[in-house]
Amino acid sequence: MSESTAAPVAPPRAGRRKLRPPTPSVVRRREDATDLLGRRAVELSRFYGGKIETVPKVPVRSLHDFALWYSPGVAEVSRAIHRQADLSFELTGRWNTVAIVTDGSRVLGLGDIGPDAALPVMEGKALLFKFLGGVDAVPIPIRVSSPDRFMSTVEAIAPAFGGINLEDIASPKCFGILEELSKRLDIPVWHDDQLGTAAATVAGLLNALALTGRSVRETRTVLLGAGAANVATARLLISLGHDPHRLSLVDQRGVLHAERDDVDELMVRNPWKYRLALRTDGGGRTGDLAAAVAGADVLVAASTPTPGSVRAEHIRAMARDPVVFALANPDPEIWPDEARAAGAAVVATGRSDFPNQVNNSLVFPAVFRGVLDARARSIPDELVLAAARELARGAERRGVSVHHLLPTMEEPEVFPEIAAAVGDASVRLGIARHRLSHEEFLDRARSLMDRSARLVRALGRAGLISPLPRGPGPWRRSA
Amino acid sequence: MTPDKSAPAADEPPARAPAVPIRLRPAREADIVALVPLMLRLKRLNEEFDPLLRVRDDAEVQSRQVLRQQLADPKAVVLAAEGTGADVGKVVGFVRAAVRERPFYAPEFEGVILDIYLLPLYRRRGVGEFLLQEVSAALKAKGASIVTAEFPAQNEIAGRFYAKRGFRPVTAIHARSL
Repeated sequence: MSESTAAPVAPPRAGRRKLRPPTPSVVRRREDATDLLGRRAVELSRFYGGKIETVPKVPVRSLHDFALWYSPGVAEVSRAIHRQADLSFELTGRWNTVAIVTDGSRVLGLGDIGPDAALPVMEGKALLFKFLGGVDAVPIPIRVSSPDRFMSTVEAIAPAFGGINLEDIASPKCFGILEELSKRLDIPVWHDDQLGTAAATVAGLLNALALTGRSVRETRTVLLGAGAANVATARLLISLGHDPHRLSLVDQRGVLHAERDDVDELMVRNPWKYRLALRTDGGGRTGDLAAAVAGADVLVAASTPTPGSVRAEHIRAMARDPVVFALANPDPEIWPDEARAAGAAVVATGRSDFPNQVNNSLVFPAVFRGVLDARARSIPDELVLAAARELARGAERRGVSVHHLLPTMEEPEVFPEIAAAVGDASVRLGIARHRLSHEEFLDRARSLMDRSARLVRALGRAGLISPLPRGPGPWRRSA
Repeated sequence: MTPDKSAPAADEPPARAPAVPIRLRPAREADIVALVPLMLRLKRLNEEFDPLLRVRDDAEVQSRQVLRQQLADPKAVVLAAEGTGADVGKVVGFVRAAVRERPFYAPEFEGVILDIYLLPLYRRRGVGEFLLQEVSAALKAKGASIVTAEFPAQNEIAGRFYAKRGFRPVTAIHARSL
């Protein structure tokens, strides 16, 4: 991309929401708010005793009905499945049930806190799955010592599920686990920290590139951090036509290139990163972040949160109207205002309190809705890209701008669209057992997603879900 | 790669232009400065496989010395692989081997491949295979009837490379600390 062809972009100006670089008092206030939120979450978790439960979906008029739903009637259902295994997707809830499996080795930003402590996060994920995607998800933290045991455990429980969502597993073992389980199982396997984040990132990038008059093919991109998300983002960008030799991955040891000192170590310990080292060869750069960003169009930082790891001078060294995604949570690598002041035309973060949140919750519920409805056998990158493209298109409905790169959670109409796009893609690729039409995928997704929201509201109205008890903070009242 | 039959049967395999992206030739004294970093990379790779292969602090001095000795040793073979394209003249890999006598077993002489290293961008392009053929020919020319390879037991990548080319484990070296 030559600088002169970049389309003029609206001059940076503060968005509607707060974009201040944090003063010490702002940081303190944020920390106080986070503390408050955390205390409230513990209190409410105790009050409700967790976040999800199992609810029947068949009528039980009297105890006699159990003869249908359970023994002896159920025996014939079992016999039918025994004769034809695929019938488990018709005669049980398997078609709509996914396992959320973790070993607890990298939970949120908390690190290796183990499977017990991972459970509340998995429960939360299950809630999002149900509420946003109409998907029944079962949290399954497992206590295992090796990736092999992890995989054989998941393989062993697969008969109950229509899909597997891997969650909060440390890099690099997450790459091998996803790759290997996708091979072994004939149901979709997804690792959100890789694919969900990468899909949302790519969606944001597609719109950011269009806004700044760039094409993927000619863009020079720097990815800071070479963990689960950016390794997947790099792969997706390359399959979208990004020139690998214009793509620089940068980690703590600098630009990842084919002759870096640790490249043989990577071959043994992290072949995924090794392959990218060879494929990109540093995007033609060696050295540190400063060397990588000089003249770059795009910077995607998805690193271990280290405030100040991206500095204004890095942004200033980039091409005109650069695109900056600073995705570390809770504190981005550079605050949006600082990035804009240094010349960034478009800034995205991982936070909901700034414009342009790169949010995997916009992706995974819809992707699973789509693959479950198509009864897809796997989730190849084409499906991930289909989701990313649809998410990017979803932002157009309210107009793509530097403040609205991606739909927000307040634009739920994008969810069924993504589900249908994923369903269509799996039909096209020949991995769908249910070859529905676009309209059928869309209708089904809409009705299942809508049902979930209505279900939760109805249970609330009936008093079966208690209103939030009194407490401090803005989460005081029931919706 | 078929050896060029018209080439003179020299003590070392003659330099020739293979269909692989390198040019292979006997290493010279002047190559040592380029070979040492490659040798150290290989030893550091080996370090990944076993704590008993921890690279010594003076490994750089050692490798310079070993190379100098072997370049002078008629029983040793050291071949340097030069890159092509943008890498013309740059040493991008090497192979080091030696003929050893087997006092108790027949055949009497084995050619031992001690080191093979290629920079990552030259891997998976048939260069390793070519290096193996060329070093085997050179070892045969020095009287070896079998070719063996030494590498860390845990290096499955090397294990697969050789197994695919007809090698099998013959002698095992097991170790423990004292």
